[in-house]
Amino acid sequence: MLGCARLAILQQLEYRFNLIADTVIQPVIVGLVELTLWAAFFHSTGNQTLNGFSREYYLSYAVWAAFVSRISTSWMYESMMIEDIENGTVNSILVRPISFYEYYLGQFFGYKVFTTLLSLGAPVAVCLFADLPLVISRLPLTLGLVFFYLLLVHTMSVAIASLGFFFSRIHHITVAKNITLWMLTGELFPLDLAPEPFRSILIALPFSSAVYRPVGYLTGRLELNTITEGFLSISLGLLVATVVATALWNAGRRRYSGTGA
Amino acid sequence: MHPDVTREVTIETTGLSRSYETYKKPEGLLKSIEGFWKRETIQKVAVHPTTLTVYRGQIVGLVGSNGAGKTTLLKLLSGLIYPSAGTTKVLGYDPHERRPEFLRRVSILLGQKAQLWWDLAPADSYELLAKIYEIDSAVARSRVRELADLLACTEQLHVQLRRLSLGERMKMEIIGALLHRPEVLFLDEPTIGLDIIAQTKIREFLGEYVKVERPTVILTSHYMDDISLLADRLMLISHGKIVYDGTVEAFTAKSELRQTLSLKLVHPPMQDVTLRHDFKISAGTRSVRFEMPAQWIADVLGELMALSPVYDIKIEEVEFEDVIRSFMEQDARLRAAGHSPTA
Amino acid sequence: MLKYIGLFKSFFKASLISELEYRFNITVRLFTDVLWYAAQLSVFEVIFLHTKQLNGWAIEETRVFMGVLFVTDCLYMLFFSENLDRLGEKVRRGDLDLLLMKPVNSQWMLSCQKVSVAYLGNLLISSGWLIFALSRVSIDPWRVLYLLPMIPIGLILVYSIRFMTSATALYLTRADAVTYIWYQVYRLGTRPDTIYPTALRYAVLSVLPIAFLASVPTQVILGRASPFVLIYGALLATLFLLASRFVWHQGLKRYSSASS
Repeated sequence: MLGCARLAILQQLEYRFNLIADTVIQPVIVGLVELTLWAAFFHSTGNQTLNGFSREYYLSYAVWAAFVSRISTSWMYESMMIEDIENGTVNSILVRPISFYEYYLGQFFGYKVFTTLLSLGAPVAVCLFADLPLVISRLPLTLGLVFFYLLLVHTMSVAIASLGFFFSRIHHITVAKNITLWMLTGELFPLDLAPEPFRSILIALPFSSAVYRPVGYLTGRLELNTITEGFLSISLGLLVATVVATALWNAGRRRYSGTGA
Repeated sequence: MHPDVTREVTIETTGLSRSYETYKKPEGLLKSIEGFWKRETIQKVAVHPTTLTVYRGQIVGLVGSNGAGKTTLLKLLSGLIYPSAGTTKVLGYDPHERRPEFLRRVSILLGQKAQLWWDLAPADSYELLAKIYEIDSAVARSRVRELADLLACTEQLHVQLRRLSLGERMKMEIIGALLHRPEVLFLDEPTIGLDIIAQTKIREFLGEYVKVERPTVILTSHYMDDISLLADRLMLISHGKIVYDGTVEAFTAKSELRQTLSLKLVHPPMQDVTLRHDFKISAGTRSVRFEMPAQWIADVLGELMALSPVYDIKIEEVEFEDVIRSFMEQDARLRAAGHSPTA
Repeated sequence: MLKYIGLFKSFFKASLISELEYRFNITVRLFTDVLWYAAQLSVFEVIFLHTKQLNGWAIEETRVFMGVLFVTDCLYMLFFSENLDRLGEKVRRGDLDLLLMKPVNSQWMLSCQKVSVAYLGNLLISSGWLIFALSRVSIDPWRVLYLLPMIPIGLILVYSIRFMTSATALYLTRADAVTYIWYQVYRLGTRPDTIYPTALRYAVLSVLPIAFLASVPTQVILGRASPFVLIYGALLATLFLLASRFVWHQGLKRYSSASS
């Protein structure tokens, strides 16, 4: 699987500009855009705090949310998996002594680790420079949660890709799924701002560990219990996702006649 | 050459050449990281300075192996690529200015590339094309019918392009390319990837078409058969240089087209056998494989079949570069012997 | 000119024929867009739970802004998105060659070939929301007519920017990065420009006039901006359109010099 990670890194280095844009430029721009919204909020309301947290907490959240959400979403690899199944190139993977899941897991994680390390500098720099709340010591645990969440992401990707055995053009499902997650992860706004009953539901779902929990913890908004709750909800989610993914994959393989395009 | 070809020049080039830069791809992880900052560039010459003249109504076959430069030359002539040096004039126009008046009089067909809309039936695509070329739709429709009849694909006109087989799609592409009665036709590997039946049908059609409509044609291929049935002028290109410019007959006369004959004998011979042209088969051999000039194949095959029933017969072309090389060698020999080369 | 109008009619018809095949597509796109609308709206709805106004805009006005955004976005998706998103791919596959040999404006052809008729459904939904939002706000109803020139201006500007980013495919081998940047620029247009710091505000109103997507038209109909902005917008739109043509022609020259 390490070989798969290496493969992913090599592929990315080929397109150097693309890599910089994906890992650094994009999240920085998104972070800055979101910053303006929260800055405007505090500026125009004259409030000192919102839900008990000051302006700086929201700015920090916005910056980190942009960065972390990028890590916890799967566009590229999910698309690749779907494409593989839709046009039959999955055949070449199926005959190898490594499962489809593992093959892509290695690549996916390799890519994510590499890009995370590359892009870590930007948000840290911004927070230090603008004196925004950030508890650096919490970074390892934060990343740990995010990467555990990525397992769930990957499992869901396999489940969706398996739909490729049944339908064509399921790229749209990826889009719909990611937009839905967009709303559920806390990327748009800290989930504790939502009214009840949404608030409790959103936080309880494993998707809150994509952005809300890790960013909340890292910026000092939330405490350690959020991490442990996160691991728990992800584990439950993983259970469900694995069952679904396995069922879909097996059903798909049975249906699959081995012909491609 | 066709006896009634006028000496009107359709295409002429002077010193036309094309070279480009490319990067050396680094190997391995460390070199890749290094390659992040600096990249090695290398110059490649795709087409060496070429001067040629094509007259109206000529069918020029441009033949060469893959990477020899024939597609590049074709794209230079049609204006898709800018030359690195030299000039080109097609119908009096500079092709890469891409004037609409010029574009309406020429047509290009790139093998395995579709210009027709994927999700539409060809008939609908032709309607769109008619609008683009400003052809009256009734005129266009009758033209389509006429061409489709010749290509025997009338039933597929209303089937979505993506549902057609490669051969049928190619026929549709051809109709699309000929819809506006182009005076100059650029065909790049029109039969590549097609099955033998489709290839033959298309070759036959093109043969008929050029006799009737008399366009000037530049046709590239790496199948000699594409050329021999259509072209009256043959240009061989090798490593970006035109190494031969003459007729097909002269070429086949001068070069020794070699082929490989392989087959299996149902009853292996009991003793050693020597065939015509000194081919030997040892006793007990079942599989036979000989390389020989194309003209000998019929005789040798006949002899082998007289020996025993045969199966698994394969006749393979020898590499094109070898054909060219053998031609060049022959040509050099002849020149040394004092005979002038055909041009 | 007539030729191009006639051609466009044919493209529309052809797109309709081919899209109707994919009913699943249409449904999914509708669904996805509704989700996107919900996501966009949720941010502001949540924020306005905690305040009465945001930089001088009340919730009703913000809803109008969202309405204009959705409608213009829908129109952009309808006419241009598929064409411009696929442009890079077409260039890389070499499909551009065949197009360049046709006696038709290649930029126009690439930009308008496909009408994503699947979005007609979304147009209904987004228009519905806009009408709903407008009904809850007290403005001179005649001002709404400003949308008639302003939306096309916004579309032309968005088109030009997107086209220029897509045209980078003629210069770069892989333009995924530029696509990301485009999405971020677009994102800037999904917020009222009034919330941006001054420097950025000037940027989105001039060099990267994405504010004309929704923010400026909304301000005009809400009476927060003078109608003279119309003239400025029209000038800007012309400028950007010409710029896109220039970028395309230069790109083609480079493409013809670099490919083989």
